[in-house]
Formats: sequence, C-alpha cells, structure tokens
Amino acid sequence: CGFHLREPVALPFSSIYIGLPVTSPLAAELKRQIRSTSPAQISDTRQSAQVVLEVLSEKRDKQILSLNSQGRVREYKLIYDFSFRVRTPDGKELMDTVNIQLSRTLTFNEAQVRAKEAEEALLFRDMQNDLVQQVLRRLSVLKPEA
Amino acid sequence: QSQEQAKQATPAPATFAEDIAQRRSSAANPVKPEPPLEVTALKVWGRTDRFVHFEKEVEMTRGDLRLKADKATYRFLEDEAEAEGQVSLTRNGDCYDGDRVRVQLERRTGFVENPVYRLIRNHAQGQAKRIDFLDEERSVVHQGTYSTCQGVSPDWYLKTETLQLDTGLDTGTASRSVLYFKDTPILVAPSITFPLSSARHSGFLPPVTGATSKGGVEFGLPYYWNIAPNRDVTLYPKIISRRGLQLGAEARYLGEQYRGESTLEGIVGDRQTSTNRYALTSLHEQYLMPDLKLSWNLNMASDDNYPTDFSNSITKTSVRLLPRDLQLSYGGSFWNASFQASGYQVLQDVNAPITRPYDRLPQLQLHAEQLDVGGFDMSVDTMLTRFWHPDLVRGDRAVVAANLSLPFVRSGYFIKPQVSVHATNYHLVNPSAKQDADAHRVVPIFSLDSGLVFERDTRLFGRDFTQTLEPRLYYVNIPYRDQSRLPNFDSAPADFNFAQIFTENRFVGQDRIGDANQVTTALVSRYLENDGSERLKLAVGQRFYFNHQRVTLDNAPSPSRSDLLLAATGRWSSTLSGDLAFQLSQSNRRAIQTSYSVQWQPEAKKVLNLGYRFQRDSLEQVDISGQWPLADRLYGVGRVNYSLMDKRVVDGIAGLEYKADCWSLRFVAQRFATSTTTSNTGFSLQLELTGLARLGVGGNPLEALKRNIAGYQSVSER
Repeated sequence: CGFHLREPVALPFSSIYIGLPVTSPLAAELKRQIRSTSPAQISDTRQSAQVVLEVLSEKRDKQILSLNSQGRVREYKLIYDFSFRVRTPDGKELMDTVNIQLSRTLTFNEAQVRAKEAEEALLFRDMQNDLVQQVLRRLSVLKPEA
Repeated sequence: QSQEQAKQATPAPATFAEDIAQRRSSAANPVKPEPPLEVTALKVWGRTDRFVHFEKEVEMTRGDLRLKADKATYRFLEDEAEAEGQVSLTRNGDCYDGDRVRVQLERRTGFVENPVYRLIRNHAQGQAKRIDFLDEERSVVHQGTYSTCQGVSPDWYLKTETLQLDTGLDTGTASRSVLYFKDTPILVAPSITFPLSSARHSGFLPPVTGATSKGGVEFGLPYYWNIAPNRDVTLYPKIISRRGLQLGAEARYLGEQYRGESTLEGIVGDRQTSTNRYALTSLHEQYLMPDLKLSWNLNMASDDNYPTDFSNSITKTSVRLLPRDLQLSYGGSFWNASFQASGYQVLQDVNAPITRPYDRLPQLQLHAEQLDVGGFDMSVDTMLTRFWHPDLVRGDRAVVAANLSLPFVRSGYFIKPQVSVHATNYHLVNPSAKQDADAHRVVPIFSLDSGLVFERDTRLFGRDFTQTLEPRLYYVNIPYRDQSRLPNFDSAPADFNFAQIFTENRFVGQDRIGDANQVTTALVSRYLENDGSERLKLAVGQRFYFNHQRVTLDNAPSPSRSDLLLAATGRWSSTLSGDLAFQLSQSNRRAIQTSYSVQWQPEAKKVLNLGYRFQRDSLEQVDISGQWPLADRLYGVGRVNYSLMDKRVVDGIAGLEYKADCWSLRFVAQRFATSTTTSNTGFSLQLELTGLARLGVGGNPLEALKRNIAGYQSVSER
C-alpha cells in the first residue's frame, strides 16, 4: 500500500548551534539525536555554526483538568510548550517561528502524591522525546542557502 | 540636518529607565542648536530688538513648537510669544486650543488659558481652566478633565483639581479627583497615578467588586508598583464585609542568574473566626555557580480552610497539599547530583481525610551516564532518602540502579536491548510486626525495545501529507521478588498510558518492582505536513502478559489485565482540533478510562470546547466551555463542568464582557465545589478604563476566565 522503510535523511546543514543552556535536558536530548542520525556538527558558539536554533520559550505547565465532587483534583493536564526559530548567525530568518505544544493527562490522588511526582517526571520526559522528534522533523526540511 | 544626524548617532535605549535618563539629559543639554523662528501673518509691525506684533492668520513655528492665533506678540528680550483669540498650540505633538497662550520659546515654559487638549500618547484628551508648562516634559493641568475616550462627550473622564503630566516619566498624577462614568461620579480619589502610554507602569489596577457566599461583599483595589524593568510588586488590599481587611502582596524578580516570585497575604483578626490568618507562597531559582542551582518552592497556610475561605479560584481551593521543597542541584558533564529536602502541609477536610505523605528529609540523588562507549550506553542512578512520617513506618532507603544498553538505531528501524540491576536497601526505625528492621532486594531486569518506521506519500483533506507507520515491540522480563514485607514510602500503580507501557516497571516509585514477562505492542501513524509539522497522530497499543503477576501493593490484588489503548490527537482542520483517548479492559471488555475533547476556534475571541472524561468508579464528567460574541462588542463566556456520577456541577462559571472604545466591563459569576458538602458561590464585577489602569495580575475575574476556558482571549487585548 505504498509504505516503504524510512530513508536516511541527512539534516540539510553542516553545523548547528543550539541556543539552550548546557544543563538543559532538552538540549542534551536534541544534541544526542542530531549526533546519532546525522553527520551535522554541534557548534559551541553561534558564530561558528551554519545555522542557529534560537529558543524563544520553553514552558512546562500543569493545569487542573478535572475535579471530583469534593472539589479535589483528580486529573491534571501537563503541558509542554516550546517555541523556536532558525536563523543564520548574522540573523537571517531561515524558518518562521515554530510553536509546538504537547500535553499529557496525569491522574491524581492526594494519597499517592509522591508517586505522582515521579509519574509527572516520566510524562514530561515522554513529551520531551516526542518534542525532539518533532523539532528534528522541522529541521530536516530546512533550506539554508548555499 | 545636524539634529537628524545626532538622532541617528544616539543608540536605542535598552530599558525604560535608560530611556528617561537619556531624554532628560538631552533636554538639559544646552549645546543643542535651537532652530530658527519662522512666522507668517497678514499684518506685522514692531520695534527693532524689542517686540514684533502680528495679526490675522498668525502662524509661528520653532522646531516642533507651532502656534496659530488671531493675534500674537513676540518679545525679543524674554524670547516670549503671547497669543490671543482662537489660539492653537502644538508642543511635542500634543495640541492645546485655548483663549490665551504665553510661551517662552526656548525654555518651553508658559501657560495656556481655557484650553481643550489632546495628548499624542494614549490619545488622551480633556479640557482645563489653565495649563502651565513647567518645562519641555512637565505640565500641570488646573481644574481640568482627562479621558482616553474620543469625541466631545467621553464615556468616562477624570475631573481633577490639579493634574501633573510628565511625559519624561510617562506618568500623570491627579490630585483631588472624581472619576465620572457616563456622567455619574463613581470614585473619589485624593491621588491617582496613571501611565501616559501603554508602557508597563506603576499605578492602580482596575478595582474588583463582588460578593461570595462565604465572605459577603468584597472590594479590592490592587496597586501595581513597577520598581525596575525586571522587578515589580502588586499590592492587593481587599475589604471583605464579613471578615475585615485582607492585605496581600506579590513580588516578582528576574535577574541574569536568578528569578522568582513570592506572595504573602493575610488578615488580622478575621471577624468570622477571631484569628489571624495568612498564606504564603514563594518560588525561587538561582544559579550559585554556572553548574550549581538552588531552588525552593515554599507554600504555607495558617489553617486548613484558608484557601476555601479566601480564594475565588478553584485552582487554589482544589489543592489540599501545599508543597515545601528546597533543592540544591549540580549538573556536570556526564553526571548530575541533587540534595533535596521536601514535605507537604496537608489541608484536611474532616469529611474526607487525607493520609499525610512522607517527608523526605533529606534525599540525595546521583545520576551518571556515558553514551556510546563502544556502542554501549551506560547509566547509574543512586538515591539515598530518609523518609519521615509522624504516624507511619519511618526509615532510610538506598537505591542503586545500573543500566547497560546496546542501542542500534537506523533511520528505518531500531533495536535496543537493555539489562539493569536494581538494588535497594531499607533500614526502618519503627518497623511494624510484619516488617524487618533491615531488608534488601536485588532485581535484575531485561528488556528489548524494537521498532520499524515506514513512510508513504498520501493525501488527506485534499492536501499532501507524509504518512508514517511505526510498529513497535517491547519485551520486559523481571523475575519475582517477595516484596510484601517492604514498606511503601513513595510507590503507587502507574497510570496505563502510552508513556507507561514502554517502561519496565508497572509501579511508579522505588518500593515495588513488578514481576514481568510481557510484551507490549503498539502501532503509531502520523500525518506530517511538508514543513515537517505533525498534523495528526493515531496510536493503538496493547500489552500481553505471559504469566500471572504476583507483586502487589498494600495487599491489593494486582489485576492481571492487558488493556487496549487507543488514541488520536491532532488538528482536523485549521479551526477544529481534537483529542481522543480510550482504554479498554480486555478481561471484561469494558472501558476503564475514556476522554474525548474537541476544540473549535473559527476566529479570534470565538471558541467552543466540548469534553467528556470517564474513569471507571471514580469520575464521569461532561465539560463544556466557550467564548462567543453575543452582539456587537458583547461577549458571553462560560463553563459547565458537570459530574454525571454525582449529578452535581463541580465547577461552573458564566460571564459577560463588553468592550467599548475606551473601557471594558466584565461580569463573572462562579460556583464550585470545595468539599463533599459545600460549594463556593460568588460573582465579581470589573470596570477597566483604558489608559487609566493596566490589566491586573492575580485574583481577578480575568484569571478565572483564562484558567477555565481553553482558548479564551481577553476582549481588551488588542
């Protein structure tokens, strides 16, 4: 029915600078995925890179999704909101600002709050992996000028 | 021309404060060349070097100062122009039409009598008995009015004894003023400060009036204090008729290495309880060194009922556990470590008591990993925790978990075998009869994750897409270990969802490692647009157990289930998006958990949300919310969250918003459950006068609308 195994897609640039703090877990995962799937280099400074990924916002939010009849939270909606754009080191736009918003549902019970903390971390990690894949897909169709 | 060059040479101000300083210094700068005076008139006479008198269609210009009048005199010695009859003065782009004007052309001082004025910033206008110009930036309006409405009969205006306008500081300060709305006096104020532009500025925020079933009539007048571009304070005093005066303050700060916000509010001598009551929240993050971060999250309330008695927001009343957390973390190149002390304040409800969670005093964590060492990924997690509880079993727990995996990743497929060893040691202070003071558990874990990625080009909704098909297979083997004598500090059965089915342990927390011999299968299909964005994601997953599970938690039988998961999420069209999730029990063919939600947003400020949520034996709710224009400038907003199980509205909100050119009015009524037997009911009313008060933060009806209605946009947003 037309399906074929995904072909290797090389990222269309030779080097990239990722504008996130070194300690950011998202940056670590992004760099790891870029290194493992493509020959593109990760630059340590903006100026030495061919393209620059600029992070405009990275927000994690937790909103109440449902309450029980006692007015207590029974479900939270976890939201990971990420905006970025890609430019050249001298500021030329290569891609419009991209906003990716992911969400997951976390059931909640006061009696299990310690376990729910761990589960929240698991869901945010899951969203982070999903996010990295979506960012890479956006990067793979980039058209940096020669 | 030289002025233009000077303008270009001045760099753009980085901050508002710099901007003021820059403009102040340029105003005081004496070397600035004064442009020549140009005058046209039909009739001119005078005495050389003394005065010139002009008549009929007089027009004087000097730089950006322009004066039109029937009659005018210029005196050389004083550098002064005086004009009479149909005078129109333009100064810094602001216009003054009056009977008589006297102005010193270079010093920019002077006055205008009986003026009607229009300010270029904020489009403000008004009239006055007299306006004195103190210098280029400051002026005083005597016995005048001020409004941001257009036209001759403004919807609202401020009538003031004196009004000081400072375009340098961007503020207006009105003394002894009365605020008129539709020609009716609604507020008398000895002093009001407001911004002259839309910049962030100190000043009063729109007052909020309302009533709640518990507190009676309420009136709040928040004040916003813009200390610096990166620091502000909002004060929110509130009179609650049945309780007294509640005071509150919220401070926010942001620096290169730190950021945070704190809120403190309270009431001295609550008339209902005859006690002093307060609540505190504080969030802070700071890099002490580039790799060393300090953070805290402290929350405290004076008594169990504080949030339900004082908050008009369900986001506060629904939270019964107030976290207190202090953390120091270090991130190295291939390892990170953290030290954490944390506990909770429990706000008890006598009808439904909550078991207090364990305090962690303290917890030490160390994570180290090395990737791609000869193809292997390795990681070690260590966690040392002292668990404290006033009533339950207390003790220390040490966990070491080591992982070794050999991932083989290609663009079209991946295989990832992994072996782990999970070792735990307990030392209990007061073990129960069924427990040993010292216990340990070592569990080996084997897992094999694998997947394929297929792609094809396809069309959907008349557009080209790349469709993926991603089958995934995940096998886990964990041998059984008897854990019935171990305490439970932080564990619970995990939610069954797409993140969980690809993890090894069916419990979260470290106290139980579920025995497993199971395979999880999943199939994911994505529709990707040409720019790489994900439009639609469909997923189905199921887990198959090869043996009966024996590890249990709190002696509850572990159900041997292999539920089916279905999920679909995405944007169906440019205005319609939806989310479907479904969990079906394979053993009895019944739905365990279901949720559907659809959002339709045909244009800005027009949104409808429809949701249904179901959790077997715990929750069944319908949730409808939206924002919709009812008439020109009038918007209706609302939400009903109805529990089908209890036949009760858990959370209901209804509101009306009206947006005029220079003001908006907001009315919000709310009812939400606060305990098994009680609900809070209340309403609030807020009149926002454009340009007089900036939109508020915290505790206002706008926040309630934003929290309750997904996709809501304020009508006063431009």
